[in-house]
Amino acid sequence: MQAQKYILAFVITAAIFVTAFYIASVFDARRVADIRATQEAVSINILSLETQFDLMGSLSCSTLSDNPVLSEELNSIASRLSVAEENLGQDDAEVLSLKKQYSLLEIKDYLLMQEISDKCAKFKPVYILYFYSNKGDCADCSKMGDVLTYLRETYPGLRVYSFDYHLDLSALRTLITLRKIKSEEGLPAFVVNNRAPVYGFKTLQEMEVLIPELKTLATSTPVE
Amino acid sequence: MDAGALGLYVCLFVALYFEVFLMISFFEKKPSKKDTTLPSRYPSVSMLVPCFNEEKTLASTIESLLAMEYPKEQLEIVVIDDGSKDSTAHIAREYAARFPAQIKFLQKENGGKYTALNLGIMQSRGEIIGCLDADSFAAPDALMEAVKLFENDPTAMAITPAMKVYQPRKMLELMQAVEYTFGIFYKKMFDNLSAINVLPGPFSLYRRYVFTKIGPFRHAHNTEDMEIAFRMHANGLRIVNAHTAYVYTTAPKTVRTLLKQRTRWSQGFLQNARDYKYMFFKRRYGNFGMLVLPFALSAFVSGIYAASYVAYKFTTLGVERLSDRFATGVPLTLPHMPHLDWFFLNTGMMAFVIAAVISLTLVAIFIGNRIADAQLTLKAFVAYFAFFGLLAPLWLIRAAWGAALAKESAWR
Repeated sequence: MQAQKYILAFVITAAIFVTAFYIASVFDARRVADIRATQEAVSINILSLETQFDLMGSLSCSTLSDNPVLSEELNSIASRLSVAEENLGQDDAEVLSLKKQYSLLEIKDYLLMQEISDKCAKFKPVYILYFYSNKGDCADCSKMGDVLTYLRETYPGLRVYSFDYHLDLSALRTLITLRKIKSEEGLPAFVVNNRAPVYGFKTLQEMEVLIPELKTLATSTPVE
Repeated sequence: MDAGALGLYVCLFVALYFEVFLMISFFEKKPSKKDTTLPSRYPSVSMLVPCFNEEKTLASTIESLLAMEYPKEQLEIVVIDDGSKDSTAHIAREYAARFPAQIKFLQKENGGKYTALNLGIMQSRGEIIGCLDADSFAAPDALMEAVKLFENDPTAMAITPAMKVYQPRKMLELMQAVEYTFGIFYKKMFDNLSAINVLPGPFSLYRRYVFTKIGPFRHAHNTEDMEIAFRMHANGLRIVNAHTAYVYTTAPKTVRTLLKQRTRWSQGFLQNARDYKYMFFKRRYGNFGMLVLPFALSAFVSGIYAASYVAYKFTTLGVERLSDRFATGVPLTLPHMPHLDWFFLNTGMMAFVIAAVISLTLVAIFIGNRIADAQLTLKAFVAYFAFFGLLAPLWLIRAAWGAALAKESAWR
């Protein structure tokens, strides 16, 4: 029996663990970089649209597609952000920074969409501002997320802007104040098409009643 | 990270450490190739065949012994019928009549395998005593390979063979074929460490001196082959592995018989480990006490822990998802196809550690395959990775339960 062999085996095993940790960190870093790159692309697109808007004074509605702003890209960032949050933890500085950037993009997208809808009668968006929390004070947020995800998948034209209520971001705080969202009323909370906020969990059927505009949207698959 | 996952990391660390340790042993001393040299002397050998209701396989077992490449006058075959209810005794008696100079037939009341073996030891005359279960068949040169090893290493007191599954065809047998091949690797590595932990019923050989010094086989919770290995280590008697001595054993063909067999083995390990607990972490018992016993026990605990943790996680997740679906009114659909994007792959640390454990297991199986020319097929690997992880926890839990209640495990 040689003690060196026991020690060597321990060192190699520990080295494998360290390598596994390192590789996992490299993948996490790449994920963060990937999200950041996508967010930058979205940011450039929004800026481009805004600039186009400013240049023309009033945008020619005929040049707009049915879904002019970037919901697909934002949805993609959302799902990627959720993976990064799961891997790195919700309190990770990188994750928080990405979330802030994402929230800002959502707000900008929301504002731009409103501006366009004000000027173009053909563009009638249906959207939800959704406020959730993952600080442990929202037992129903996960279920509400499931309902909204299903709605978004069923109605690709529905725009869901989700915000972490407790995120420390001044623009978000302003939006929360403007939309008169109060966490004391109980999260989750959401605003449909700038109507009064609705609090608490709502089932799929209740949501369909709350958003009659859904009937005007095309579905990805037939709804029974 | 939750405490459950932390426990899983501990299990993975232990498993990886063990595999790394065995790999180091492999690179220190690689198994030699089979050579054509012959022993300078042919010691007398008594091959004991204990049997209980073995009418289906006994004839083939005896035939495999008669076909041994060994001087006939030096090879005695002792068939001991342990009170069979079928035609085992009739078959054995017929063979004894046909080959009176070579085959001795003994019959007794049923008393358990160890009593049959002990009767065989008493009634035989060989310098070397071999045991061959009546459901196993040794390769013609297996005895010669073992005898050469005894001759080359006078300190070797007992020899284990390289065990393979006899004609594996069904998925369950193919799974065991891979498992046995993995066993060939670690048995050889245990040999390098002088820490072999079992002398399996199919073709283990002992110098007669072993029984003179430490006594006969014991009941040992129906695992007399394991207990005698423990007792030999306790008495400083060395066990070596003849990796070129191939023996083929009939593997259980149904889940029920497999669970029964493995529960007996696993429970036997727990109970023998309890009987020999004084050997744990004692330097005087070498790698057997310092490595093999503690790791075998930790593998037992880890297996149960990991399976319970995964089952708990899947169950709670499933129940949560289902109750959420009912609460939300969102229709139940089949899970989405996994994203092909690398971004959504599981690249957490645990995934890479598990990959390392699986990779080392595969390397060990490939080495075992090369050592014993097991000729494993892709189907066998699929069977192993698909079923072993599901079945092993079942027998581990049953064995732990049986040992906790001190219940006697069943033979069949």
